[in-house]
Amino acid sequence: MENIIEFNHVQKSLGQFQLKDFSLTVKKGFVTGFIGGNGAGKSTTIKLIMNLLQPDRGSISIFGLNYAEHEKEIKQRIGFVFDENIFYEHLTLAEMKKIIKPAYTNWDEGIFKHYVEKFELPLKQKISSFSKGMMTKASLAVALSHHAELIIMDEPTSGLDPTFRRELLDVLHHIMEDEEKTIFFSTHITTDLDRIADYITFIHKGEHIFTKKSYQIEEEYAIVKGGLDLLDQETEREFIAVRKSKLGFEALTSDKTRIKTIFGDMALVEKPTLEDIMFYTKKGAEWRV
Amino acid sequence: MYNLIRKDLILLKKPSMMLIPALLLYLYFDFSYIWSGFLFSIVIIMSLFSYDEKSSINTLLNSLPYTRKEIVSSKYIGALLFTLIIVFTIFIGNFLFHRELTAWRDILFIVGLVMGVTSLLLPFSYQFKSKYLMTGILVLFGVYMLVINTFIKNLNDIIREFVQTMLVTQNVQFYLIVTFSIMILYACSWLLSIHIYRKKAF
Repeated sequence: MENIIEFNHVQKSLGQFQLKDFSLTVKKGFVTGFIGGNGAGKSTTIKLIMNLLQPDRGSISIFGLNYAEHEKEIKQRIGFVFDENIFYEHLTLAEMKKIIKPAYTNWDEGIFKHYVEKFELPLKQKISSFSKGMMTKASLAVALSHHAELIIMDEPTSGLDPTFRRELLDVLHHIMEDEEKTIFFSTHITTDLDRIADYITFIHKGEHIFTKKSYQIEEEYAIVKGGLDLLDQETEREFIAVRKSKLGFEALTSDKTRIKTIFGDMALVEKPTLEDIMFYTKKGAEWRV
Repeated sequence: MYNLIRKDLILLKKPSMMLIPALLLYLYFDFSYIWSGFLFSIVIIMSLFSYDEKSSINTLLNSLPYTRKEIVSSKYIGALLFTLIIVFTIFIGNFLFHRELTAWRDILFIVGLVMGVTSLLLPFSYQFKSKYLMTGILVLFGVYMLVINTFIKNLNDIIREFVQTMLVTQNVQFYLIVTFSIMILYACSWLLSIHIYRKKAF
């Protein structure tokens, strides 16, 4: 399976924040959801993918090419949506299109028109009057109009109402149908990922915790609940992190089968949400410090 | 790169509806066209710079298939182009309103002055952001005053004389030296800006 994005032992320091020995691969033809808390390094990673930042150490390749020699070629093949407005606010969408269109050799006016109509975007209205949802739609329309093979999105669903979030996910679903495209997007709204992501990449404090297939997470991870009497030093070590209360404990494991053998029927084993995984991993990391 | 200059032309479309008539008005009322030309050119060059200065716009331009070198170079080539447009407007305006042909020396002086000042403004703005230009200019003014008061008391006269000589002299060699120096300065400034911009994080 071909890798579209490859990070090899990337190191990047930005003030207090550090991306440490970060390796990552993103597979062609799939949707990869990129999750992590605030300040985990999601935006930094996306900026590194877009060459808005350069790594201090390590290498990054996109489509198997490096930025030093193939910058324009790589960017021709990427469509991007950022969390903030990156268009000139005093221009209209029509004028903005006039600026962006000539940059791409593969610009397809028909597709752009299609999305402008589908998203009901006003072409003659100033960008500054656009709502957050309209802004994201406008960015998406531009990102999809030049036959990009890789779509990079930084928090595209944040600040959007549920109806539009679903609409956006439907559009993404639709463009994935030809199996030639790859989507990599960061989010902290993990329910979005249940619907669409094939792979989940989890990052915490600048460290790559895992990249797994969505169903694999379900198979391996579990939330375990039981009485405090089940816990001792040894069993506690089986978990990523444990939360205790008077009523009992709740813990996360990344080895569901093993836990089932240890506890048998004495503990309750449930399917975790991505939020559970994020929460307990964070807690677990603090534990070990 | 050509597309980046085209982008600046689109951004200039609205402001130029005001700038060009204003310049023509200045010419009609016979203000110094050398200073008008200089002022209008610098205003255009620096407004275009400040449009692109926001970090969100840098994110856009750097995510589009352009290299950082092209983004900086488009500003330097654009600056020359917009100065030539202003000079051309002055030439036409002078001809229409006063029936006179603008002296080539004056034209060269405007272009040279704009290039010289742009050479200083752009790298400074890439390094510190253009909003600190005012502070920079005040500091420079302070240094200038200090120099006049303590070291070279007749600096003002020297500069005035130099400008006068430049505008009347027939010495071709003198023109060549000045033109060449400004071109070198502009090229160095261009390279310096590329160097500064390449290291920026957005």
